[in-house]
Amino acid sequence: MEIDNDVAMQDATEEPLDPTLDEDASTRDGGGSRNEVGLEGSNTADHRSSKPLQLDSGNIGQLDKWIEHLSSCQVLSEEDVGRLCKMAVDVLQFEENVQPVNVPVTICGDVHGQFHDLMELFKIGGPCPDTNYLFMGDYVDRGYYSVETVSYLVAMKVRYPKRITILRGNHESRQITQVYGFYDECLRKYGSASVWKMFTDLFDYFPITALVDNKVFCLHGGLSPMIETVDQVRELNRIQEVPHEGPMCDLLWSDPDDRGGWGISPRGAGFTFGQDISEQFNHTNDLSLIARAHQLVMEGYAWSHQQSVVTIFSAPNYCYRCGNQAAIMEFDENHNRQFLQYDPSMRPGEPTVSRKTPDYFL
Amino acid sequence: MDRAIQQTDYDAFSCKICAISKMYLPSSKELEFCGMRGFSELHMAYAQQLKGLNRRAYGKVQTAIRQGQPLMNYGTYLRTLIVDIECKSFLENAANENSKIQILNLGCGSDLRMLFFLNQYPQLTWIDLDFAESVSLKAKILKKNEQFRNTLGEPQGADDTEYISDRYLLKSCNLNHTQKVLDILLESSVPEVPTLVITECVLCYMDLSQSQALIDNVVSFYETGTWVSYDPIGGNEADDRFGAIMQANLWESRQLELPTLMFFNSVEKYAQRFEDETKHTQIETVWQYYIQQIPQEEKNRLKSLQFLDEIEELKLILSHYVHSKSSW
Repeated sequence: MEIDNDVAMQDATEEPLDPTLDEDASTRDGGGSRNEVGLEGSNTADHRSSKPLQLDSGNIGQLDKWIEHLSSCQVLSEEDVGRLCKMAVDVLQFEENVQPVNVPVTICGDVHGQFHDLMELFKIGGPCPDTNYLFMGDYVDRGYYSVETVSYLVAMKVRYPKRITILRGNHESRQITQVYGFYDECLRKYGSASVWKMFTDLFDYFPITALVDNKVFCLHGGLSPMIETVDQVRELNRIQEVPHEGPMCDLLWSDPDDRGGWGISPRGAGFTFGQDISEQFNHTNDLSLIARAHQLVMEGYAWSHQQSVVTIFSAPNYCYRCGNQAAIMEFDENHNRQFLQYDPSMRPGEPTVSRKTPDYFL
Repeated sequence: MDRAIQQTDYDAFSCKICAISKMYLPSSKELEFCGMRGFSELHMAYAQQLKGLNRRAYGKVQTAIRQGQPLMNYGTYLRTLIVDIECKSFLENAANENSKIQILNLGCGSDLRMLFFLNQYPQLTWIDLDFAESVSLKAKILKKNEQFRNTLGEPQGADDTEYISDRYLLKSCNLNHTQKVLDILLESSVPEVPTLVITECVLCYMDLSQSQALIDNVVSFYETGTWVSYDPIGGNEADDRFGAIMQANLWESRQLELPTLMFFNSVEKYAQRFEDETKHTQIETVWQYYIQQIPQEEKNRLKSLQFLDEIEELKLILSHYVHSKSSW
């Protein structure tokens, strides 16, 4: 990365990272639509269609080209990201807060910009669309290839909307991506924040939970004290930035805990919930399992609450330094579960691997 | 190899500046208990001076501030606080008006602790030792600033590559050459005076035999003292890959070696480096320190500064750093 040594320290320390700059801008504009002040090409959400996107030979060809390009870890042009996001809005806006998903499906956790490991995931789990996939959020931040990763998954979603489901994670947010790398990566790779804006506008449309064959409730974080039934999730207005509190925030931020009941989350958002809460929720909603991601687990998956809850984490050697395995969970027609674990993709001597050092205290 | 080690000073310093800019540092403990008034101002003044003298180091500071990773800020906060409190506690215990005390900071880099403690304890003398490049940069910056000079005492001699005053010595020395270290100590320090020795991410870069020679000789040199050390450990569980990955990452990206990371891979093993020579060693991981020593109120303050998204990751990483204290 180029470092501008001529920026005064004062400027650097006071560099604004205003978490709400976009909200402010559109609020000031007074319009009902969120993104009126968007830059050209980033009006992702403005002219959304009243009908779901229809795939035809024209846009299929376009999408296949993008997917092939992205498969080699190359970013799309800014204009193409704009087109892709617009198409994606017209798929995702028609999905439900609790998106129904059929079996068989392979359920995956955090990816966090580790593009090469995502390709490894598809090798381990089988190529999409032959295998159905459900991703539970956190595509961006931390890893070095957030742009390529989220572009690829969104392109796959638009191309095979019935074969792949992509939920929203707590990192699919304007505020978090400004702290954890996606914003900086967009600036670095495109020279402006417009691609970041297009994607974060798109994130507002991602469904927040999924229900696999009416039995497995899938979401990024966990339960909320304000949500007792799956129907209550259906009533939420999800098309917005992830709020700092409230049910939508909790669904994306909460964690299971060994202690019973509700607890204060050490993360500063969401809650911790005990086995009693999970069992009650599963009982009330006639569920067999809550599948969620959000937490680093060294084996790639971890059961909690006597198998009421499973955590799945799909970023091996997280942040290139944690040494953890990754996993995905296959869930078949008979509701059998099988976990597939994997290690980081081997890429000896490949120049695509960033030379940036993971951070250590030195 | 020496250069790769020397450069880690800029990592440590830029992390500290970042933690200051994000308000992690100074904590109220540093301001009140440790009496480190002007903490932010002095560090920022030093960073500002770097700009004209070493663009590479200054660039690192800027990058760190721009990235501002919460996990790095937590770890930097804890590491800084641990050593600051150890300094203050040592000084409070050892100091009375008539008796002299000494602090020896081995591999001091750009650390500025001497500014705060020389101010508070007139009977304290402070020795900073490090590679020539670090020392010469630090001497230049310290001499340029009147406030620094006032605290450290007017520098003697014309040599711009070191700083020598009545109470402060900043001198270049390769710590692998134990005899040179001892020569400096013989010349500038008193074996009978109680001494605190600090090694903050220093021993981890040295070979087994050289780091042991340094510890054994310096401990033998002083009649009574305390050694405070902060370092990474590789981890000793069979499935713990943290240390091996850390070694590979740092070697591949910057040819930096951690020769004993997998040897002193647990708190027990790390403590062994001090056990032959000292009477008593206390050791804990930085994660244990965070959980047990940081009050809930302070944890809440930290939480309010930035969203820390991954507690598990923080635990994993801080569990691979240790804080030890040995007395003799």
